Amino acid sequence: MNLLSKIATSIGIFTLAVGSLHAQNRELVVGSSATYRPFAYENPSKEIVGYDVDIIKAVAQKSGLQIKIVNTPWTGIFAALNNGDVDLVISGVTINDKRKQSYDFTMPYFEARQLIAVQKDSPVKALKDLAGKKIGVVTGSTGDDTASREFGKTNPDIRRFESTPVVISELVNSGVDAAIGDNGVIAFRAQEHKQLKTVNDPSFPKEFFGIVVKQGNKALLDKLNAGLTAVKADGSYAQIYKKWFQAEAPVLPAQ
Amino acid sequence: MDQLLWFGWFRADIIVEYAVLFWRGLQMTILVTLICIVQGTVLGLAIGMARLADARHAPARQLCHYALRWPATVYVSFFRGTPLFVQILLIHFALLPLFINPADGLLISGETARNLKQNYGAFMSGVAALTLNAGAYISEIFRAGIQSIDRGQTEASRSLGLSFARTMYHIVLPQAFRRMLPPLGNNAISLLKDSSLISAIGLAELAYAARTVAGAYSRYWEPYLAISLMYWVLTLALAYAIKKLEARYGRGDSR
Amino acid sequence: MAEVIRVEGLTKRFGSLAVLQGIDCVIESSEVVCVIGPSGSGKSTFLRCLNGLEEASGGTVRVHGVSVHDPRTDVDALRAEIGMVFQRFNLFPHRTVLENITLAPSKVRRLSATQARERARELLAKVGLLDKIDAYPNQLSGGQQQRVAIARALAMQPRIMLFDEPTSALDPELVGEVLAVMQTLAEEGMTMLVVTHEMGFARQVADRVLFMDEGLIVETGTPADIFDRPQQERTRKFLSKVL
Repeated sequence: MNLLSKIATSIGIFTLAVGSLHAQNRELVVGSSATYRPFAYENPSKEIVGYDVDIIKAVAQKSGLQIKIVNTPWTGIFAALNNGDVDLVISGVTINDKRKQSYDFTMPYFEARQLIAVQKDSPVKALKDLAGKKIGVVTGSTGDDTASREFGKTNPDIRRFESTPVVISELVNSGVDAAIGDNGVIAFRAQEHKQLKTVNDPSFPKEFFGIVVKQGNKALLDKLNAGLTAVKADGSYAQIYKKWFQAEAPVLPAQ
Repeated sequence: MDQLLWFGWFRADIIVEYAVLFWRGLQMTILVTLICIVQGTVLGLAIGMARLADARHAPARQLCHYALRWPATVYVSFFRGTPLFVQILLIHFALLPLFINPADGLLISGETARNLKQNYGAFMSGVAALTLNAGAYISEIFRAGIQSIDRGQTEASRSLGLSFARTMYHIVLPQAFRRMLPPLGNNAISLLKDSSLISAIGLAELAYAARTVAGAYSRYWEPYLAISLMYWVLTLALAYAIKKLEARYGRGDSR
Repeated sequence: MAEVIRVEGLTKRFGSLAVLQGIDCVIESSEVVCVIGPSGSGKSTFLRCLNGLEEASGGTVRVHGVSVHDPRTDVDALRAEIGMVFQRFNLFPHRTVLENITLAPSKVRRLSATQARERARELLAKVGLLDKIDAYPNQLSGGQQQRVAIARALAMQPRIMLFDEPTSALDPELVGEVLAVMQTLAEEGMTMLVVTHEMGFARQVADRVLFMDEGLIVETGTPADIFDRPQQERTRKFLSKVL
């Protein structure tokens, strides 16, 4: 080869090498909807904190991943995952079959149930008691699914909002009779507003939160699972759980 | 429901599944738009004339300026100067609970308040916000329209002994109205599209239907394309109606 | 002869500009008074003060004994008695000729539709435009529009008619038809105050001519006095330019 081709090739190989090195240590963007206290929320100093945040930070450390957490509105969080705006999502996402059709989940990192919040003087004792009442949920959440399955997805009594704080505001103002959502969040909001109380329907199944990655991204999924296993093994998981929920961490299944 | 694929990828079945929501949403959007157009126009006329209020002699002149002109100017400045979205949230979560509250509503309380809030809360807030917002913009259209009418018209009319009110009613407003039709028409079309913002407080209109489907399936093309088409058709219908109005009022005017 | 208009010490300022510096004037019933003078002399402002279209900065204007600028005066009632014809006609473009003429009588004088129509037809015949009764203003020539404007003002049966440069905006060949109508009015005994540049009309029809300059009435007299024997230097200067 003449001199020019040699130089071009060298530059090419060099760029490739640097590029792949960079790719290995590329910062991963984590999408989280920071209106989901205590899982992910913004504190007064504008940092995103919460149970989910601590978990993913621990996982990243164990797996040698660089992460950056970006506050992503719940409405578009899955779209962001699909088009690559975020590499993974940790945002109180319940693992369910419908979602598994489109996305891949890690092993569980939190055990959850649905919980109902109502006004303190409400006679409601179970999900069935909500028939005919106005129910507030976050659009597309597990609470939405629960209400839709029980009362019909086009039932006008189901009022859908973009985020949990809005649902709770509506409940506090008596715009809806009840709110359904994940127990971690609902319990927190209920104790924040003295006029609300929670109702536990024992028929609500045990559910799990998982970290979500784009379907087929096995490499990342494996790294995250490895990290999670390590986090559970060395007691970090129990520690983080105690910090946020003041209780003993339940044992989670491996799938 | 089996998947109903159009062009190999468009899942029309999820739209069909929620067809009821889309149909109800369409009706609600049309209702809200029509109500707000009418109310906004009436309010806009009142405010527009308040901005032009004047009297020949004190103290009527001072009264006009401080009791009519100044408040009208502040109102217009506020509602044009703040985002409609913010206005909707402000009215629904701050203003409405002040007046209609089961516990201590200034206007209505108790059981009536609860029923009213649940069944019509979002509707009332949304219509109120949209009307106030439209009223501000429309008042400017009226003011400009009225001021654009040659002073000689008013002078000739007053010289004949016609009162201010009669002059406005028979001479100025009919001529001004014809000039105001194009910008009023634009405003009506904006109103139609702005009504989509009310979905944020849970009003089951067209955009709400799309959000629900998107939330349930994490698919965005289908629902949003569907409502885009519907909004477009509605806009075309509105534009056609306005064109007919413009044609009807076109006779005889030279300038 | 009854005194119809009495103006005493009328002044008018627009901001710092003094447009009228003290006008004293008495107009008698059936008098035809023409006001002439250079542009900017305040002629139009003076006219417009008489029916309250302009506020006075000082002095008084009394029409039939009623003070025009007093806040307690019912100015609409007063204006019903004073007809005004404008330089730019100011017909209502969105209404037909008939509607232009019948609007005020039917609303203010409460004439029935038939009565108003009858009166409109009479007046249109008088100004020679009966065939245009259903036309729109934009279908008429300038001279025709002004004649309709005169008919419109007359429909209220005023006792005084004010003309603010009624022919200044017309093409020369259309001026004559309007002046003819005005002359007929004068001969019928209408009290008229006409601001005009048509010296021929003033000479022929006016009982009195007022020459105004810089906000004051400089000279007044019969047409012969003013046009043939002007006393003031300023009057002479003005006339030498226009005659």
